[in-house]
Amino acid sequence: MTYLRAAMLPLLFAVGVIALWWLVAWFRLVSPVFLPSPERTFDELAVRFADGSIWLPLSATLERMIVGWLLASLAGVALGAAIGLSPLARDFLSPTLEFLRPLPASAMIPVAILFFGLSEGMAIFVIAFGSVWPVLMSSIFGFGHVRIRLREVAILLGMTKTRFLIKIATPSALPDILAGMRSGLAISLILAVVTEMQASLPGLGRDIFLAQRSFRSTELYAGIVMLGLIGVLINQGLHRAETWLLRWRPQRQ
Amino acid sequence: MERLWRGALPPVLILALWETSARTGAMTYASLSYPSAIVRAGANALLDGSLLLSTWQTCQAALLGLALGSAIGVLLGSALGLSNIAQRAAGPTFDAMRAVPSVALMPLSLLLLGWGLAMEVSVIAYSCCWPVMIATSAAVRGVEPRLLEVADALELTPLARLWKIVLPAAFARIGVGVRIALGIALVVAVTIEIAVNPRGLGYALVLAQQSLKPDLMFGQILWLAAIGFALNAVLSMADTVRGAP
Amino acid sequence: MTLIGGDVADQSEGVAATATPALRLRGVCARFGAAVNRPVLDRVSFDVCPGEFLCIVGPSGCGKTTLLRLLAGLMKPSAGTLEFEGSAIRGPSRARAIVFQDYANALLPWRTVEGNIALALEGAGVSREGRAERVCGLVKKMGLETAARQYPQQLSGGMQQRVQIARCLAQQPRVMLMDEPFGALDAITRQILQDELLALAAEQGVTVVFITHDLEEAIYLGDRVIVLAANPGRIAETIDVRLPRPRNQLTTREAPQFLAHRHRLFGLLQGH
Repeated sequence: MTYLRAAMLPLLFAVGVIALWWLVAWFRLVSPVFLPSPERTFDELAVRFADGSIWLPLSATLERMIVGWLLASLAGVALGAAIGLSPLARDFLSPTLEFLRPLPASAMIPVAILFFGLSEGMAIFVIAFGSVWPVLMSSIFGFGHVRIRLREVAILLGMTKTRFLIKIATPSALPDILAGMRSGLAISLILAVVTEMQASLPGLGRDIFLAQRSFRSTELYAGIVMLGLIGVLINQGLHRAETWLLRWRPQRQ
Repeated sequence: MERLWRGALPPVLILALWETSARTGAMTYASLSYPSAIVRAGANALLDGSLLLSTWQTCQAALLGLALGSAIGVLLGSALGLSNIAQRAAGPTFDAMRAVPSVALMPLSLLLLGWGLAMEVSVIAYSCCWPVMIATSAAVRGVEPRLLEVADALELTPLARLWKIVLPAAFARIGVGVRIALGIALVVAVTIEIAVNPRGLGYALVLAQQSLKPDLMFGQILWLAAIGFALNAVLSMADTVRGAP
Repeated sequence: MTLIGGDVADQSEGVAATATPALRLRGVCARFGAAVNRPVLDRVSFDVCPGEFLCIVGPSGCGKTTLLRLLAGLMKPSAGTLEFEGSAIRGPSRARAIVFQDYANALLPWRTVEGNIALALEGAGVSREGRAERVCGLVKKMGLETAARQYPQQLSGGMQQRVQIARCLAQQPRVMLMDEPFGALDAITRQILQDELLALAAEQGVTVVFITHDLEEAIYLGDRVIVLAANPGRIAETIDVRLPRPRNQLTTREAPQFLAHRHRLFGLLQGH
């Protein structure tokens, strides 16, 4: 009984929030131009799924986001390993990176447009530039904090540098790398949306931007709900992947 | 000393290469300008006050948004931290709302509020309230139980309890959340300005790019990086000061 | 027991080399960084015979761990020479395995027990099948059958230390260097592991240098006990134990000779 109630509670709250939205729309406290009712919003979403018209922008946004994120993760882990494991690489690279890091990634959009034009390459460059930082920082930490004992074990077993990197350093840094990649993915979604708006590339970001311009508020709200859904799903998905990859870790209370 | 020149080497090398290739005409990107022109354009913009004005507009929006977002975050976080039922009921909904990328709300706030400071502040506030909410709820949960027993013994009303005991005790940890939010505020402000809102540093950046003034554009980016760098330095200094016993 | 493939070759080598000690230290000094005038170890000299079980006891700060790291090749002495089977020690070698006290830090948390043991065989020119076979044998030998597929953090301290010992055995060392390996374990587990270690050492014919701060453990395990004094670390006394083997947790510890050694060592350590 109490278990059932515990499970119902979050559901009740969510239903309450939506009911509030519905009431505000129903009594026209806010004009429907600005606030469509929830059922119209979800209807819109259902229709777009049913007629398949959502797939094009959805897949475009997801593809852009994932390609940029993967590039960023690759670069972040490689650079992070170099800086975390080699003091020389750290001396040469980290001041430059420290200067670039606080730069808002969106500020790179004009620069990227200069180089790539209003193209897919521009978007991917900006997404990768923005989502590389959390991966890079956490990789530097992870590779820089391999336990001394494990380094000694590697030395005692006469491991080569490559073997050490593969068998000891990378698995040891994996929890940090994955945490960084999770933050990076959230950033890459944001930047995918921004670059779509800015460069008018096909995708959910451009769609909600255009919906706003022509006051199609139902479409706008449906788009926002869809983006939220993506955010929740990718976060959940990565969380699952993380738990599986790190199953050797003692369960947290 | 050794480390200093090592760190300076890559940027100096890139800048020197950039400068010489631009001046000798070896570079194919005519629209890329070159370092000395960039510094000159940046300095000019700084001196004629236009850069400072747009910086002020961006900071104003960022700080107002941060203040509003922090206030909301502290309120929500206190509620979640004080009541297990609130945490269980509202937690998942807030998690879902948090997952909505802040920039997706730009068109919405534009629809509701139009261009200007208000729409920018509202989106920044939305982005800033989550880290503060999480930090506050964790901090409130972490308040020493003895202090709460004191509050019980004094028979404080719930509000007095929150105001006099819980929030002061949780202050330092809430501060951590606000500092995270500060970094977010600046980034989101610039992003909104670049994407939709015609004011501030972000818009100046887009304007410079669209009017084919790459020297001014890179000068502004340099300035933006310097601001971010300074902000980071101040924040990490605050960290070390706070960390000292 | 043919668990360790190189057994035969090793033994023939051992017979031929009975004249050269397994380990030889002459005038070994060690200093850390700026503390030049206060050496950690001051002119330490001793030999360890092949197959000997040598225990080193001493108060904290007497340089026991430093001594072991020197023997492993993880550190270089500031003066003096260290030899392994007649040639100078220039760095770590798979022939000298080290067992750390902090087993939890020395095991790979992302590998199962089997994976941790296999680590010592990877890159050592052992085929995949040969590896599996050897790991399986070591798992049985160390009594780890039920834990073979578990991760280190799911195991008790005693089991984790067994895994570390198994990994060291997998690298087929001729010398095992043990740094207070049972120091963090409870009394019962410690006694069980002591007996297992004695049996293993006898069976493998491996030379053991065993560091401990526990006098009774040193006497119980060792053929010989070296007592170190602190500040600077130096040899205060060497004792030949001469208690009959196999040893027994009850009778050995009650033997008059055991008690006499204990008295003497206790006095020595109190005196310094």
